[in-house]
Amino acid sequence: MLRYSRLLALFFRTELQYELEYRANLLLEIVQTVVIIATSIGAVLVLFTYTDVMNGWDLGAMLVLLGCFYLVQGFGELVLSPSFEKFMEHVRLGTLDYALLKPVSAQFLVTLRHFRVVQLAQIGLGAVVVAVGLGRITAVGPLEAVGFALALACGFVLIYALLLALSTLAFWFVRIENLMAIYWSFLDAGRFPVDIYPGWLRVTLSTAVPIGVAVTVPAQAIAGRLDFGGLVLLVVGTVLAFVASASFWRLGLRSYTGASA
Amino acid sequence: MIRTYRALLVATVQAAAQYRVQSVLWMLFSVIRPVIFLAAWVAVANAQGGRVGGYDVRDFAGYYVALSLVSQLTMAWDAYEFEFEVRMGRLAPKLLRPLHPIHYAVAWNIVWKLTTIIPLLVVLALVTVSFDVRFRTTPAHVALFVPSVLIGAALAFVSGWVLASVAFWTTRVHAVSSLWDRGAFIFAGQIAPLALLPGPLQVIALALPFGYMLGVPAEILRGGVDVPTGLTLIGGQILWLSFFLIAFQRVWRAGVRQFSAVGA
Amino acid sequence: MEVRDLRKTFRVTERDEGLAATLRSFVRRRRRDINAVAGITFGIQPGEVVGFLGPNGAGKTTTLKMLSGLLYPTGGEARVLGFVPWRRESAFLRSMTLLMGNRSQLVWDIPAADSFRVLQEIYRVPDGQFRKTVAELTDLLELQELMHKPVRNLSLGERMKVEFAAGLLHSPGVAFLDEPTIGLDISMQSRIRRFVAEYNRRTGATILLTSHYMDDVVALCRRVIVIHRGQLLYDGPLADLAERMAPYKVITATLHDGAASADLAAYGNVVARDEGRVTLRVDRHAAPENAARLVNDLGDRLADISVEDPPIEEVIDRVFTGAEPAAAP
Repeated sequence: MLRYSRLLALFFRTELQYELEYRANLLLEIVQTVVIIATSIGAVLVLFTYTDVMNGWDLGAMLVLLGCFYLVQGFGELVLSPSFEKFMEHVRLGTLDYALLKPVSAQFLVTLRHFRVVQLAQIGLGAVVVAVGLGRITAVGPLEAVGFALALACGFVLIYALLLALSTLAFWFVRIENLMAIYWSFLDAGRFPVDIYPGWLRVTLSTAVPIGVAVTVPAQAIAGRLDFGGLVLLVVGTVLAFVASASFWRLGLRSYTGASA
Repeated sequence: MIRTYRALLVATVQAAAQYRVQSVLWMLFSVIRPVIFLAAWVAVANAQGGRVGGYDVRDFAGYYVALSLVSQLTMAWDAYEFEFEVRMGRLAPKLLRPLHPIHYAVAWNIVWKLTTIIPLLVVLALVTVSFDVRFRTTPAHVALFVPSVLIGAALAFVSGWVLASVAFWTTRVHAVSSLWDRGAFIFAGQIAPLALLPGPLQVIALALPFGYMLGVPAEILRGGVDVPTGLTLIGGQILWLSFFLIAFQRVWRAGVRQFSAVGA
Repeated sequence: MEVRDLRKTFRVTERDEGLAATLRSFVRRRRRDINAVAGITFGIQPGEVVGFLGPNGAGKTTTLKMLSGLLYPTGGEARVLGFVPWRRESAFLRSMTLLMGNRSQLVWDIPAADSFRVLQEIYRVPDGQFRKTVAELTDLLELQELMHKPVRNLSLGERMKVEFAAGLLHSPGVAFLDEPTIGLDISMQSRIRRFVAEYNRRTGATILLTSHYMDDVVALCRRVIVIHRGQLLYDGPLADLAERMAPYKVITATLHDGAASADLAAYGNVVARDEGRVTLRVDRHAAPENAARLVNDLGDRLADISVEDPPIEEVIDRVFTGAEPAAAP
């Protein structure tokens, strides 16, 4: 465990050095992130010029949710999408072999290897939006804070499990960028609480592409709108999703090495 | 030129045949965002007793179904592609050919849009039924919609190429296009029908080109504006299209000069 | 390293062109088994450098992948340094390396030095040893200039040198080299060769090497293993390969008065004739006698004569194309 966190820190540091060399790029990316988040807030404000509450969510709660959306998405873009992109490239170029020959868990080495450090900006801004939203609603007690942290961690793990399962398909089908498009297209739906969507979309966002719950539940937790049962359900579902996608990954790996075929 | 285009289109159809799966999946992008904001506006309308501005729930559904169709028909992603070609050194050989590179993209866009429209129509039919969509469309609206969506597509395409031409000077087209996309996000009618943008935003939206690519054709298709207003809006589309056509010619010429000066 | 009856069968799905055939293949798949490696047995002593030869598709890379633990065999056994490779025990992975000439393991955007640090941590190389190994490899491969440039800015040859260093940072006892000189220019090829030989001499690492360049094999390996269609054709000293596989020698005679006039068919198969030079293919055992007769008969007309084994490429090529042993008169 200690070794793995040391490795993570090392991966992070290496990429940080690389990105710091391109300072203009870094600045531009941050500007982009600011614009993206500002326009998203703008969209919420436009909606709230016509109402004070949407399906039980007032402006404060909605801002908290939007912040959570950028926290979760920022996490995905900080480490997951760069790593998974490289993974698909490795499969295509046949260089995945090198990762499998290392005396470290291949899943770890493949899925958490690369960072896009500038995405910390998105996470930071997401946190700011959460804080602003919280300022408009009640003070946060320790219980809500713990629930929020737990739910957010579950959100991260859910997204991780989804991307792991999707990219595992690369072991059988080399070109899976298209499947990733499913993730990217549904991701946008995380900007609103999952309960406003029509049935089919709500189900999709809670199960197959769990971006909806990954964002909505943490927001509910910190806004004090989540009951204990819901949190337990999320944790159990997350553990199941993680175990399922990790086994799927091992299955893919076994097929890649011809162990079961 | 007609013969050139026939050859181009045939070749493109063959190339596009390899992307059947992609075409279905990428359609999601044209569907998901309109559905997201449709759901949001339905929630707002429900909180306000079923009505916001001139729109009730069924009007919102009509608008966003139309928007989804229009966005599939008009949106073009050539800027991203173009930057890639410049970076990978694929542009130089294309510049040597006797045909302007834009024609390949025109052919590709035509084929792509016509082939992807069929699965989209199926999906939109389902949405139409499940949301009990209302269209206020008259034959006059259909007659206006055809030129409007064509101009909208041309406008999105040509302005996309103006942006793409930035690649002659900088490798950061991606940043520029993503900022442009955010402009479209707010002002093109994605987050709200243009009529519902609050006061100053609406004025800005009508002055900027974004709405003329998406919101205007969509509103015409659902019959949300009367015919004189529709004609005025099409006039706005024509103004912006002319502007971008001229801009493109200038920018492209300067860009190619810059490109050959650098000797890439 | 011990390998016994190692086998690998791939099952491939066949599909015809066209949409209808694609759909059909979803329902019922036509499958065919391909014996990539069909039962090979050999042993390699510690410290040996062995050349592993065969045409494309012979099963070389499949064998290397099984021996390095990337592929499960369909049957047979293998022990490398006492480990069963495909169990991929950490201790095994830490004591061997696989280098593929056409596949890069370094991260392109960052300098090699940073990648090395990551590899150090992954392989848990102690600091002292790491510094020593890096210094040694830097010296052997002349990496000083290359370590701090992003890998993408290196030339192919420079990159290969850095790849070698990356693969050897953890001082593996066994190295599998798959086409390590592919695509490199002649001088870089020979530098890599010198490096491999020197590395083997210094560290006593066992090396199994595949290459399409015979020069690599001739320079490095005293022993070669030849496989073809998944089966072992030859295992023994490189020097004996020609004798076993090509039962003929090549006599080259240069004549003062030009080759056109002379009819040398009586001394062997005429395979080439240009300017004043005639090349004959002669049965291995008859070669000394035929050469002597030729010298005798031609007398002063003969400017030069040589009797040699056929070039190694030719021998290998004969083996792989399945040519009959040369029938000399």
